[in-house]
Amino acid sequence: MTNSSAAKADNAVISIRGVSMSYGARRVLDEVDLDVCRGEILVLLGGSGSGKTTLLKHLLGLAKPETGSITINGVDITRCSPSELGAVRRRIGVAFQGGALFNSMSVEDNVALPLRELTRLADSTIKLVVWMNLIALGLSDAGSLYPPELSGGMRKRAAVARAMALDPEILILDEPSAGLDPIVSAGLDELILFLNRSFGITILVVTHELESAFHIADRVAMLYRGRLIAVDRKEQFAGNAHPRIRQFLDREPDAIPRVAADEFLAAFMRGVQT
Amino acid sequence: MTLLEQVGQAAIVQVEDVGALTMQFWAVLRKLPRVLPIVGSGRRWHSTVQQMFAIGASALPMAGAMSLCTGFILALQSASELRRFGALELVVDLVAVGFTRELGPLITALSVSGRSASAIAAEIGTMVVTEEIDALRVMGLDPVEFTLAPKYLAALITVPCLTILSTLCGIFAGYVFLAFSMEMSLHIYFRAVAEAILLRDVAFTLAKSLVFATIIVHVGCLEGLRVRGGPEAVGHSTTAAVVKSTFLIILADLLATAIFYLMGWSSAG
Repeated sequence: MTNSSAAKADNAVISIRGVSMSYGARRVLDEVDLDVCRGEILVLLGGSGSGKTTLLKHLLGLAKPETGSITINGVDITRCSPSELGAVRRRIGVAFQGGALFNSMSVEDNVALPLRELTRLADSTIKLVVWMNLIALGLSDAGSLYPPELSGGMRKRAAVARAMALDPEILILDEPSAGLDPIVSAGLDELILFLNRSFGITILVVTHELESAFHIADRVAMLYRGRLIAVDRKEQFAGNAHPRIRQFLDREPDAIPRVAADEFLAAFMRGVQT
Repeated sequence: MTLLEQVGQAAIVQVEDVGALTMQFWAVLRKLPRVLPIVGSGRRWHSTVQQMFAIGASALPMAGAMSLCTGFILALQSASELRRFGALELVVDLVAVGFTRELGPLITALSVSGRSASAIAAEIGTMVVTEEIDALRVMGLDPVEFTLAPKYLAALITVPCLTILSTLCGIFAGYVFLAFSMEMSLHIYFRAVAEAILLRDVAFTLAKSLVFATIIVHVGCLEGLRVRGGPEAVGHSTTAAVVKSTFLIILADLLATAIFYLMGWSSAG
């Protein structure tokens, strides 16, 4: 295990070291250490309020951690200049949870936007790249539609198409299967695997959907209350004995303080009388 | 928390507000050249033209109608007083000067504020909630240049134009009144108007309308960017945008008018 983890550190595209963040007195991220290796699919699991979204914001340079560093492709994005950050971001494609497609533009224009703005490609080339992306994602009929006209699954795929437009090394997907029916969600999983296997893209998926996580992941990491409580290959992760992980994997609810029946009745009667 | 702490906290919030306003304004000013045609990016100019339709052209019917009504009201109200002194002709001066200096820019600004400050806050607030602003940043596109600057430029161009048109509407309403009550001819009326207003008044009005335009977009954008949380926060931000921009417009108008009179620009000589 030690050998492979040393190899991983060399191979890391993203390496997060000791990242902490608090909102007021609440600690949202607590000394998070995480490596994402080249060519792997890492799934970041965590319940609501576990700090997944906050960690993602830090990874994208949208927020700065209080302490710690985040190195992407050898550049520490917590300390670099805006232009260096821009260069790092150019190599990352992001599909946000709701798609974050621009409503005033058609799907085609949404996908073309980064190409038009950030490259000097000719219009005909851009059109070609856009259509290749749309066809690869099964959206060849949807190019001229506007985001509000798309179904949930199509919107996610369009977001992935836009994230893929600049041919990124790293693809970050925020809750790709949230709010989708199982069939569409399974299709999206296949798509993620396809992108990883055929283009060798490093993919980081943030989700709380267990089934899809275990289907696509090479490794699984789990956040709980701002702490990274496990990072492991999925086979080992499934056998992890940490109580929180077991609770998450076995889908057990948190204990709710119960009130005894007679106590409830007494309180109820008091309420009625007053 | 002690009283002192509360006062201090409130003061800090206010100062932060002013700071955020100023920083955003500076950021936009720096990006404004990128939006201009020829020197800037053609695509930004394209979205500026779209914004000019949204902020300016579509506000024209409302601003025009409001000015027509106000012009007529002003003429009616002042005529009943001036008639007692046998000085009904002075209605021309009153309407012309009143509209050029004051009512034209104010009515235009208020109608644009009601329509566009809320629309801008809603649009940008929604972009914040749906993570579109984050998406722009992550793609390496500056949201200030991409979404804010076109709106600023559009407002700076269209609001003065609207002001001129609505001032003309107001003055025309004065003519309609006088044509009925005194059978004054259009020719005589507009000669009297031309004598009553100075070029200085027009310049002052246009300067004022530029300030109002800035207030409207600036407050709208800032309220939109401040949205945190879900869609219901967008609703709050639109209300806040209209309330704040309306208030700031009146306040700016008061300051501008005070300066105008203190500097002695109002005298015709």
